[in-house]
Amino acid sequence: MSVHLKNFLKEWKKNRPLFIMTIPALFLIIVFAYLPMSGLILAFKNYRYDLGVFGSAWNGLENFRYLFSSGTGWLITKNTCLYNILNLLTSQLLAIVIAIFITEINQKVFKKITQSVIFLPYFISWVIVGTFVYAFFNYETGFLNHIITSFGGEGVNLYSMPGVWPYIICAFNAWKWCGYNSVIYIAAITGVDSETYEAAAIDGASIFQRIRYITIPCIKPTVITMILLQVGRILRGDFEMFYQIIGNNGQLFNATDVIDTYVFRSLLQNSNLGMSAAASFYQSLLCFIIIMIVNTVVKHIDEDYALF
Amino acid sequence: MSKQEPKEIKLGKVRLSSSSKAFYTIAYLSLILMAVLCVIPFVLLISASFTSEEYIRFHGYSIFPKDISLEAYEMIFKSPLTIFRAYGVSIFITVVGTLLGLLVITMTAYVISRKDFKYRNKLSFFFYFTTLFNGGMVSTYIYYIQYLHLKDSLLALIFPGMFNVFYLLIMRSFVSSVPTALIESAKIDGAGEYRIFFQIVLPLLKSGMATIGLFLALGYWNDWYNAMLYMNTESKYPLQYMMYNLLQKTQALAQIASKAGIPVTNMPSSSLKMAMAIITTGPIILVYPFVQKYFVKGITIGSVKG
Amino acid sequence: MRRKVVSLILAATMLTTILTGCGSKASTTATDNTNETATSSEASATPKASGELDTSEEVNLTMYVISDRPAGQDVVDENINKILKEKLNCTLTINWIPWSDYPNKYPLLFSSGEAFDMAYTGSWLNFTSLAQKGAFMNLDELWPAYAPKNFAAQSEAAQQQATVDGHYYCVPTMLATYSAYGPVYRTDLLDGTNWDGKMENFEDLEKYLDLIKEKHPEMEPLDIYSAGSELDDNYLWSLGYMSSKGANNDFLFFNPEEANPKLFTFYECKDTTPFLDMMARWNEKGFYPKSALSDTDATKTQNGKSAVRVHNLDTFAGYSTTHREFAYSYANFVKHVRHFPYTQDAMVISNTSQNPERALAVWDLITSDREMFDAFMYGVEGTTYTLNEEGQYLITDPDQYAGSAMWSARTNELNRDAVGTPELFGEMKQEFEKAIAADDTAEKYASFVIDTSNIETEYAACQSVHQQYWWPLELGYTDAKTGLAEYQKQMEAAGLEKVRTELQGQLDAYVAALQ
Repeated sequence: MSVHLKNFLKEWKKNRPLFIMTIPALFLIIVFAYLPMSGLILAFKNYRYDLGVFGSAWNGLENFRYLFSSGTGWLITKNTCLYNILNLLTSQLLAIVIAIFITEINQKVFKKITQSVIFLPYFISWVIVGTFVYAFFNYETGFLNHIITSFGGEGVNLYSMPGVWPYIICAFNAWKWCGYNSVIYIAAITGVDSETYEAAAIDGASIFQRIRYITIPCIKPTVITMILLQVGRILRGDFEMFYQIIGNNGQLFNATDVIDTYVFRSLLQNSNLGMSAAASFYQSLLCFIIIMIVNTVVKHIDEDYALF
Repeated sequence: MSKQEPKEIKLGKVRLSSSSKAFYTIAYLSLILMAVLCVIPFVLLISASFTSEEYIRFHGYSIFPKDISLEAYEMIFKSPLTIFRAYGVSIFITVVGTLLGLLVITMTAYVISRKDFKYRNKLSFFFYFTTLFNGGMVSTYIYYIQYLHLKDSLLALIFPGMFNVFYLLIMRSFVSSVPTALIESAKIDGAGEYRIFFQIVLPLLKSGMATIGLFLALGYWNDWYNAMLYMNTESKYPLQYMMYNLLQKTQALAQIASKAGIPVTNMPSSSLKMAMAIITTGPIILVYPFVQKYFVKGITIGSVKG
Repeated sequence: MRRKVVSLILAATMLTTILTGCGSKASTTATDNTNETATSSEASATPKASGELDTSEEVNLTMYVISDRPAGQDVVDENINKILKEKLNCTLTINWIPWSDYPNKYPLLFSSGEAFDMAYTGSWLNFTSLAQKGAFMNLDELWPAYAPKNFAAQSEAAQQQATVDGHYYCVPTMLATYSAYGPVYRTDLLDGTNWDGKMENFEDLEKYLDLIKEKHPEMEPLDIYSAGSELDDNYLWSLGYMSSKGANNDFLFFNPEEANPKLFTFYECKDTTPFLDMMARWNEKGFYPKSALSDTDATKTQNGKSAVRVHNLDTFAGYSTTHREFAYSYANFVKHVRHFPYTQDAMVISNTSQNPERALAVWDLITSDREMFDAFMYGVEGTTYTLNEEGQYLITDPDQYAGSAMWSARTNELNRDAVGTPELFGEMKQEFEKAIAADDTAEKYASFVIDTSNIETEYAACQSVHQQYWWPLELGYTDAKTGLAEYQKQMEAAGLEKVRTELQGQLDAYVAALQ
């Protein structure tokens, strides 16, 4: 302990201003995130309102049992992971491509307008997206079937075809976040020292060479950070998105149920606070394990790219 | 980036016109396609907000409003004071929260990206850990209310979202593109840590700060969750929470509609919801072009060196 | 790596010490009011009634209700407080939890330790489970002592229903509601056709729907949306069966005509196949959309897009008063009508209440005094509401005012119907009372309330499976035969047998107590 303290004092002397600069952040994170974290124990308690979080009796892993009864736990865990991987790949890839296109284009007005316009989906809440999705895909009056039948085809009832929904959800996710995510990459690209680009231009590098050898290496740290941040949430589903698009349509659940929607549905009628805390703890723990592994691997490859 | 043989450059030049033409064609076409896909739902939204409820119910949504009706907007602006007050609350928490948050995040991101700072990885982990585990709604709520006394306080809308660890780590990736040599040379010149940060590093982070500032602002503007939990007085409701109420009311009522004895009337209409969505998003969309100017290429490290 | 772990553990222990400090304080403040004995998971001790009500000190009471606060509520509150100040030397603050927030905020209300006195509750807010988990104050002595008129006026059944684990935990409503269920349908749509106007069973309903489909192709004849269909329950009820939990969307039923009823589920019932055949036919005929379970519009019948909704009597009255230009009618399909449990709407005293005596006195006044009741339920006569000759009320400006959301304050005696309530509404209620008096087949089960606390895991899993596999099946979206087999497989895996054993035990005990 004293060795640690000594080391700390040495570092403090050397970098005092840096320590001071982190004080506001430390204060915020301790007060607003670490102190309420004591609530994690709720997952292991038989919660009673009159006894409170700390006074309630322990009940071991009982709260976790319902997640795994009838084998649902595995299915929803798998679904959540797959959706997140699929969403991560598509939405980040799309954002990167958009960012590169936008920064490469010189037509200023076009550039500004597209950049603003692709941000619009971010503002449309999932509730409203859900209404549009239903208006678009429903069997009787949906726009899609309207088109198909007007070309003489047979209408399709997508709401009884679970297989297509992963693609639909993934497409909507990418659509909603493409503007938001591309801003990060646009910022990363424009943060590049413009001298580098000028030098490349003088050397006569082609547009592909420029992208390959300047742009991509420059956004690489950002891309890796973004991927790692998403990996750290791999067990968390975007509840609003799934719930608003799929709703209560049981036919699609096997393909579209994620942990968050399953928990919501199971606990809707008995609001057991311990059980919902348990689900959240399960997600946290798996995310923790996965990100620790991934981060260690990344650290071995290149320390600069690791999250911590 | 490496030096290239003159021969290759020539080859590149030869291919330049055709290959870059192809590139630009693809770029323009795909951006136009994307833009159209993004703009159509928004147009539907605007159109629906001006359409009568009857029409939407029987004919659905359309690009151009048919059977035009201003009913939804009249409904919202029946008590204009409420809406303007909500705008005021939203603007206040967005501006204050974004400025403070941006300062804290940038400062911290700078520190944890400094390779000569021994605890940088430990600190990063300490921060990152909170994104994995959280106390859950119940204990957070009890703690905020009983110990921090944040019930009905605007601080409950500002503090929890101020220090976002995701933004911190994205910011760190931006800071890492600032050459270490620059900081080293400033140190040798005798500049203090604070001066280095504020006068040398910050100006280089314009696009990064614009990004994180934008995200923070959007986060604050769109936050209804904290308002739902902690705000009791209607005059302190931010705009987004009012919209959330409107949108979720239908669903909440639909869920319980099957229970007897509760009169389910006055459901908000679709056009009202759409109009409310327009009203809540309008102002923040206007902010975007101002942020955009920081994304224009042309920041040169050379220009701030002196 | 190891050092990182060490420092992490260190930080964690430090935080835990701080927190347990806070924590023990939290739990003491929470238990202070309910006497200190409450440490086991047993019900907390009964607060003692010390005799006469002492109104010498002025107090402010707080009440929570679930609904959106009407814009002009201040006028109503002021009027209530004027009366309360005079009669009981107290004031009342009513807090409204908006519809959008109640799923999150309602349970939080009881965990936050916030001091308040009264709250609305009901079976749809999981009254029983909340009571078992210690959210409410035990009213064994307080209720008879401080709300004597109310207590005396309650039916025996209501008092029994207010009991959880042998203690009173709520004050139920005194407004009778009935388990009648059936189509709320529009008669104006078939004016000028040769429709015979009969609506007594599912065949009549099908004929009606056929005609609507033919005459009004732009409509969705039958109102089905994301909350699922209620036809399955209604079908079984029409045959005389009852749901174990007493409400719709259930998966365990029994036959109250039997002496020792046994619980059964859909795949064990001979009537399931004809029902599924009927639904497959209805789906084929396009009575409702093929994707209805993703449609969130719950107002289709109310707004004229659908012609029929299978629902309860109150919905019929509600629709009729809001859309008087549509000629709604109602038919009951349930074979044995009974009273719904009175705990469907109830009032609870919070564990944290500082003045439960006064709160109950206020409740006693509201539920027995005409002036107080009208002020509380409807507001200020002439300003917020008007009365017609028959004593029916009309809210003057629905954008400004609304009736109280404390629905549990209503009593048979004091409750007023809204202007425009169809005569059929009152007639049917009288008819149901007569029917119940003549036939207690179902009524004797009115107080049977299931307790799922020992099987929460399995019950939650069954509910989830039921929604996933039964909902599409009962609408004819999935093939009846394979769908039913799949449903059975999943229900069994979810632990239906354990649920059944537990609930059967409770039912047997109830039957034994009846004799």
